[in-house]
Amino acid sequence: MPDRQPNTALRVPLAGFLAWLVPGMGHLFLGHRARGLVFLVTITATFWTGVAIGGVGGTVHPGERRLWFMAQLLTGGQSLAALGMHNSVVRSLPQDRPPYLGSWLSIDVGVHYTGVAGLLNLLVILDALSRADPASRHHRVGEREPPLGGT
Amino acid sequence: MSSFLVAIFATGLDVSGRGRLLLMLPLCLSIAVVYKTTRCESLREIPGASLVLWVTIVLGMAAVGVGLWVLFRIMV
Repeated sequence: MPDRQPNTALRVPLAGFLAWLVPGMGHLFLGHRARGLVFLVTITATFWTGVAIGGVGGTVHPGERRLWFMAQLLTGGQSLAALGMHNSVVRSLPQDRPPYLGSWLSIDVGVHYTGVAGLLNLLVILDALSRADPASRHHRVGEREPPLGGT
Repeated sequence: MSSFLVAIFATGLDVSGRGRLLLMLPLCLSIAVVYKTTRCESLREIPGASLVLWVTIVLGMAAVGVGLWVLFRIMV
């Protein structure tokens, strides 16, 4: 079977970027399919549950909750999609009305869900970087590496 | 399709009453599952380890909440 794994210099940053772009994609790229799917389903469900609870207008709000928004941005493409929806909702409202279409309590819960989803994806990104880097493999003694091309 | 998604996510849910505390359960479960998936060497260990961590987090937060409530009742 041909070795389809890119060299380490490309493999580490690519795994990190994919892990940021889509939660779990870095692990899928490295051949850890089951782990990648767990991350994809769990973090995606957490993020969009938060958006559904709080409403996209108040939950993803870079102007008012900058630190939370930075945490939300760690979910990558999903946060950018939610930001696009936020802008769409804001544009559809009268200019004198804030984009709060839910109660403050709902927004608070939604912000926590989406922010925690982003912070969890930071953990996943770091894990993907560690698994992609051969120099850090000594920390994982006993773990079976997936065969080339994935399992 | 995009207007359908916007309709779902545009308006938040009505979260009120003490039942809102139950919303911490799925969030804690998510934290437990992701953390244990990064830590466990064998995939078979993940469900059990996640469940133990989930229960630990929920009980720990409940204990902290009760402790703060008792402190509040004593001081006020």
